[in-house]
Amino acid sequence: MPIDNLQSTTTDPPSGIHINSLSHEFGRNESRVLALDNITLDIAEGEFVSLVGASGCGKTTLLDIMSGLLAPQSGTVLLGDTEPLAGRQDTARMFARDALLPWLTAAQNIGFSLATRNVIKEHREEMIMQLLREVQLEEFADAYPAQLSQGMRQRVALARTFSLKSKFVLLDEPFGALDAMTKINLQDQLVALWEGTSSTTVVLVTHDLGEAVALSDRIFVLSSRPGKIIANIPISLPRPRNVKELQSLPKYHELVASLWEKLSQ
Amino acid sequence: MTLDLKIIAGRFLLVFLWALVWEWTARTGALPPAFIGQPSIFLTKFFEHLVDGSFISASLITLEAVAVAFTVGALLALLTALVMTVLPILEKLFSPIIDALNALPRVALIPLFILWFGLGLIQKVASGVSIMYFILLSYTMAGAKSVDPDHLLLARSLGLSRSEIFLKIIIPSAVPAIFAGLRLGLIYTVLGVITAELIAGGKGIGTLVSYYSNTFDPNGVFATLIMLIIITSSLTAIMSRIEASVSKWRTPLNQE
Ligand SMILES: Nc1ncnc2c1ncn2[C@@H]1O[C@H](COP(=O)(O)OP(=O)(O)OP(=O)(O)O)[C@@H](O)[C@H]1O
Ligand SMILES: [Mg+2]
Repeated sequence: MPIDNLQSTTTDPPSGIHINSLSHEFGRNESRVLALDNITLDIAEGEFVSLVGASGCGKTTLLDIMSGLLAPQSGTVLLGDTEPLAGRQDTARMFARDALLPWLTAAQNIGFSLATRNVIKEHREEMIMQLLREVQLEEFADAYPAQLSQGMRQRVALARTFSLKSKFVLLDEPFGALDAMTKINLQDQLVALWEGTSSTTVVLVTHDLGEAVALSDRIFVLSSRPGKIIANIPISLPRPRNVKELQSLPKYHELVASLWEKLSQ
Repeated sequence: MTLDLKIIAGRFLLVFLWALVWEWTARTGALPPAFIGQPSIFLTKFFEHLVDGSFISASLITLEAVAVAFTVGALLALLTALVMTVLPILEKLFSPIIDALNALPRVALIPLFILWFGLGLIQKVASGVSIMYFILLSYTMAGAKSVDPDHLLLARSLGLSRSEIFLKIIIPSAVPAIFAGLRLGLIYTVLGVITAELIAGGKGIGTLVSYYSNTFDPNGVFATLIMLIIITSSLTAIMSRIEASVSKWRTPLNQE
């Protein structure tokens, strides 16, 4: 459950995500691109935060570093009390495109990820069906990705990510390519999946400011290249949230509007 | 469904019309039948040879060489691809050499194969393998490289080892390309074997074609070619069946 972020920075032993003076550069010599510039941020355990910013500002790079897929060049990154590492049992990553394996069924795709974690085989079947039920895809357990719509595939990918029951969940534009209605449904499913866990820390990268406001406890705004944190906005909407109902709440629209302003500065 | 039937009927109609024009051209002597043959005659000839068993026994001889060449070529190609994927340095080392060999017209090698292996089965197999091997190798290598980068990232983020990534991500990703290579390779293996028979003689289908050409019998040539078409299309149909059953996941439900 969300924790008030003001209390979060002085806890020991460290929990949550802590990034200190992180910079990252791609390429060499003339073709060098500074993707991230001196990023410092703290995310409390159990907090749901979003990263927003213009295309190419380094959001995916930041997630790649937190997932251990990319080594930080300068600065420090801590997930809990250890540095990120690809394959860490307490980290789950969801990619911008669904990244479902096309030769496996929906259930098998979830099972593929689960098999990398210490889950007793007898329990897997049950967990998979439970997750598919939560994203309302029970009847499609045995369907291949090619037989599913884009929205359904994203739901399988979402279920797969949460199947890992990781402490740190890193999502890269999970609902990028969806229509507004489908999106809101999936956002509610994401909120439900997250609220169903305790102390899961979520970092969501999104282009959709409404989505960021509706889902997050806090939003980090990145400047366009090189990515710098230019704002850190707490979202004080009550929990549990229902994204559909938020759409008719004036406070929600005010927050989206002020976020817009921050971004276009 | 009905559309499919209409299209199949349309195809038969096209072939039938073509045969009709051909027959008419030959009968009226618009083009000399001694050169172009005559459908009614070569069709009769085809059925005669089918019934008397001579086409069947020639086909079996050709198919024997095709089966051996296909199997040997496929195994060698898959083994090479495996080694080159596991040790990329070998691919860097060998790929220009392989490209150069692949650019050789294999027909030109057949006289050498005859010199080395004599006139029997082995030189035909050598000719088939020399084609099959390169086709499947290039398809398999392309397939292994066509892995979706997102899948590799997913595998890494899940902490899979290199060998697990190879077995669970790279090989399945390459399966469609491998099957495309097997299907194309099979057809070209038939061509390789037939060409070897055309040059070296023996008892296969290719030998029949060269016999009929040398005796100025176009009807004999066309009758044999019908047999050849039946062989290659059946082989392709069988391959497609196997391919479809292995890659169910590629067809969305509402198709097929
Ligand atoms: N592998 C790479 N090699 C070189 N440059 C890269 C690489 N990956 C990213 N970059 C550069 O780093 C910058 C940040 O890229 P990144 O993918 O993190 O942006 P992003 O914020 O996720 O953008 P988007 O919102 O479009 O997904 C971009 O300018 C990009 O060109
Ligand atoms: Mg991105």
